Amino acid sequence: MAFNFNWSPLIADTSRAREMLTTALNKSPKPPIIVDDIIVTELNLGSTPPELEILEIGDLAEDRFRGIFKMTYSGDAFLTLKTKVQANPLNTYLSRKPSFASPEPLAAAAGLTIPLQITLSDICLSGFVILVFSKQKGLTLVFRNDPLESLKVSSTFDSIPFVRDYLQKEIEGQLRVLFMEDLPAIIHRLSLRLWSPEYQELEEEEERLNSFQDTTAPIDPLATNPPDAVDDFGNPIETTAGSALTLDTASEIHASFSRKNILRLAALSESQRTLSLFTPGIRDAVFRAWAGHADQPNSGVATPVLTQSSLSRIQSTVSSHKSNPSSLASGSTGNDSHSSRPTLVSSYSSTGLTLGANRLRTHPQRKRKKRVINLRKDRDGAESSGASTETSTPAPSANVSETSSLMHEVIQEEDFATTPKNEPQRAQWLDKRASTRTLREATDSSTNGKSAEKTRPEALLPPAPLPSDIPRAQTQSKQEQETDWTEKRTSSSSSTRPAPLSHTRLQRATTPLLRSLSFDRVSAASSSVHPHQAYPSRHRAMSPPYAESLASSSGGILEQAWMLKMAQEIARKVSEEKSRADAAASGAGARESILHHPQPGRGAKAAAAMWAVEGAAEMDAPPAYQA
Amino acid sequence: MLDFMEHVQNAFYEASHWNVDNSYGALNATARALLDFQTPRGLRLQISSLAAPNFATSYTIGSVGVVDGFVSYLYSSLPLTRSFKSSNLDLHNVIRGYRHLQELRRPDEPWWWEIWHGGRRIDSRNTLLYGRIFLPQSTLEALYLRRLSPTRQLKISAVSDSTLNNGGTLLAVLQSDYGKYSTEYMYSTDSALMGVRGLYNFGPDPRAEPPTAQDVAERAHGRFSAGAELYYGILNKSGGISTGLRFTTLPNHAGFPYTMTLTLNPLMGNLSSTYSVKAGPNLALCSRFDFNFYSYESELQLGCELWRRRRNTDVEWAVKKLRPGWERPTTTRDEDVSGILKARVGQNWRIGVLWEGRIKELLFTLGASLDLKKREQIFRAVGIELQYSS
Repeated sequence: MAFNFNWSPLIADTSRAREMLTTALNKSPKPPIIVDDIIVTELNLGSTPPELEILEIGDLAEDRFRGIFKMTYSGDAFLTLKTKVQANPLNTYLSRKPSFASPEPLAAAAGLTIPLQITLSDICLSGFVILVFSKQKGLTLVFRNDPLESLKVSSTFDSIPFVRDYLQKEIEGQLRVLFMEDLPAIIHRLSLRLWSPEYQELEEEEERLNSFQDTTAPIDPLATNPPDAVDDFGNPIETTAGSALTLDTASEIHASFSRKNILRLAALSESQRTLSLFTPGIRDAVFRAWAGHADQPNSGVATPVLTQSSLSRIQSTVSSHKSNPSSLASGSTGNDSHSSRPTLVSSYSSTGLTLGANRLRTHPQRKRKKRVINLRKDRDGAESSGASTETSTPAPSANVSETSSLMHEVIQEEDFATTPKNEPQRAQWLDKRASTRTLREATDSSTNGKSAEKTRPEALLPPAPLPSDIPRAQTQSKQEQETDWTEKRTSSSSSTRPAPLSHTRLQRATTPLLRSLSFDRVSAASSSVHPHQAYPSRHRAMSPPYAESLASSSGGILEQAWMLKMAQEIARKVSEEKSRADAAASGAGARESILHHPQPGRGAKAAAAMWAVEGAAEMDAPPAYQA
Repeated sequence: MLDFMEHVQNAFYEASHWNVDNSYGALNATARALLDFQTPRGLRLQISSLAAPNFATSYTIGSVGVVDGFVSYLYSSLPLTRSFKSSNLDLHNVIRGYRHLQELRRPDEPWWWEIWHGGRRIDSRNTLLYGRIFLPQSTLEALYLRRLSPTRQLKISAVSDSTLNNGGTLLAVLQSDYGKYSTEYMYSTDSALMGVRGLYNFGPDPRAEPPTAQDVAERAHGRFSAGAELYYGILNKSGGISTGLRFTTLPNHAGFPYTMTLTLNPLMGNLSSTYSVKAGPNLALCSRFDFNFYSYESELQLGCELWRRRRNTDVEWAVKKLRPGWERPTTTRDEDVSGILKARVGQNWRIGVLWEGRIKELLFTLGASLDLKKREQIFRAVGIELQYSS
């Protein structure tokens, strides 16, 4: 076994070591004879390395080492110090004494400071060194005995033997302290700075306070699923559960957001909730407002109002990506909540967007644009919701909202009277909600998307009842967090569903949509050439109710995550089923079938197959459909 | 402002006819009072009392981050008659400012002190005992003061502190004051430091025969004094020496009083000159110039003391109309003093400000020391001290 000690790089740059020595020498209270800072002006470790003899190695691994060495050094290293000393012995003597018993000389103690330069050379060291290295804890170097054998001190006062002897004695004493106490600390700190990035961050915290620059490498949370992903309750996600979510890996990634980013996102979200104009800087983020220009040509058919509203929103692409799946999920479960807000009907418009974007996330940007063109060719010029799915701007989904708003308004009015019953529960939920609020808002930037979408209906319908909106949203988000809360809710109004409410709810969500799809959304569905592409359109068909819930729920991460899972599950099942069906038919035939009639029927069938528990009331056709 | 106990000690000196100013150590007392005053740090409250004419207690609690304090007791064999109540004490006794030196007085004859009773001498030497313990540091200070004779005084001060070498230190000073000259011999247990100080006053000898009427008419307007000190530490074989000169005006002087001093430390090459002026009853100014002819370092300091008085406009006109010799009703002289401002500034823009005075029955000291060179931390120390004594 051999060790290779590289001495030369140590010689190269000693400026940092000089700095640290200077601070170390000035840190401890100095003897009164030294009246100024001690400054290390020169430090040369010399060309002769110390001789190390391995006595014992206690621990040896890739990232840790513990051993005992015998070190002997008699090299040409030297050290030059500069300081000022008090030349009046009476002054230094009296400065240490309590004034009460001091003779208080009139002028005999007047000071005389003399600059002093001390050079330490011919250092002879010999001692046992205990060296402990670990990557986490850095390098610890301890001298087992006093290593200093001899030392030559040359100073400004060499001509005065008394002063020279005194200095020699004093400095030897100080050096012994340095070797035994200060040097290990210096080396430890140096090593920490070298190996531990956390410590480095700590050290440079002040610098970073001024300039918001992260020294850490930017981590794209959407790039990969974190290996140690946890769900919203902090439990690690099992691999099996993870595979269930593989439709969209990014959907769970919020768990990997760093605290810093969480805070920033929270700030961003908060600033959009209030009238604050403050927008925190988020690195590696593309704001939707910037992207809006590029997308406008694609969504040229959008109604002016919508475009304007979409442009007014500032949203990072990251957040928009993330918001899409969650909005999908919340939308799919949102049927029970839409009832309370008749005015938010127009929020359906956003769903077209969110669905499309969700689907498109896995595709590169260029492909997306191409698809935009395709879709628009297939559809009417006015039917621009397909286009909106491709561009990540919510703007052009006006048609959806217009068509579906009617029927849902009726639904809402049906349930409207029952909503106040939820009020008592809200108080309870509020507490817990407050605790999770920050995290929730920050972790999943979908909140941004949601809040953005929430503003949209207001743009369309100015007298949106916001106050009732938000509490309502809270109740809902709470409801989805835990099932027992849901039990409570079941007693009230619209939630007469059994425990696996997700299924029923989704069912409820899908059924009216599928129905509504039949008359005006079919054309949108026709855009999907590939069978696989049919399901986004199906999602789009689901959009009206859940968009509403979107608007209603101000976003809870737990709720969203849960809904996400559900939505993805549904999506997967639907796609599986669809692909099964498509496999039977030929490509073109399948396309035709998707386009025109089979979709609602198949969707209904699928729903019936999956969730047989569906209630009869929910099977009733919505008024819109009847109309 | 003087501590209560320092005030009591000064009263003891006065009562035992000891001239504190006639010492080489007090050669530049004026300049030190105007330039080297201490600014308080943090909050300090002191409650003290001269419970009996011979016994005084004082309790102080202070807070500079940590709460500390001290308890002190004083015993004087000589009854002290001066008023120590903070409501009506003479502020001039507790404010250190320009020291206007008086005519030297002739030392008491030894037989003046003799008290005979029943054919036996029963008089004893006046003694002062003083102790102070600091908490929670457990530092103990003790002072023993004894008037050995009308011209001699022994002062032993000791400090006991575990942080000191040998657990404490003791200083013994034997002072002799003959009026014309004074000497001090001292010994400190710490490194066996020995010291000698001497001051000689030029001019007429107060011990001489009582002056004739003509002498009284031609009294000196000023006094010239010279002194020197010598220290030598036996254990650390180091020493110190300094000489000093002083010229000060006496009350006989027609113009404004002033004091000039010049001290020289030939070993260290330090030369220091001060010039202090009492420009009016309420204003004193002082300047000091230090120069070291070995290192060529120099320093200039300026200081002032301003007594601020409330204007009593109601009777102002009446006072003006009074004839000069009219005896004014002597209430307390400092009734109208609203505060005393002391300020000093050095050439490196270190400023010390002190505002002292009396509010109702409380004596207060407000102080701050500033460093204008350090922009980020101008205030180096701010403090307030409140004293109440009864």
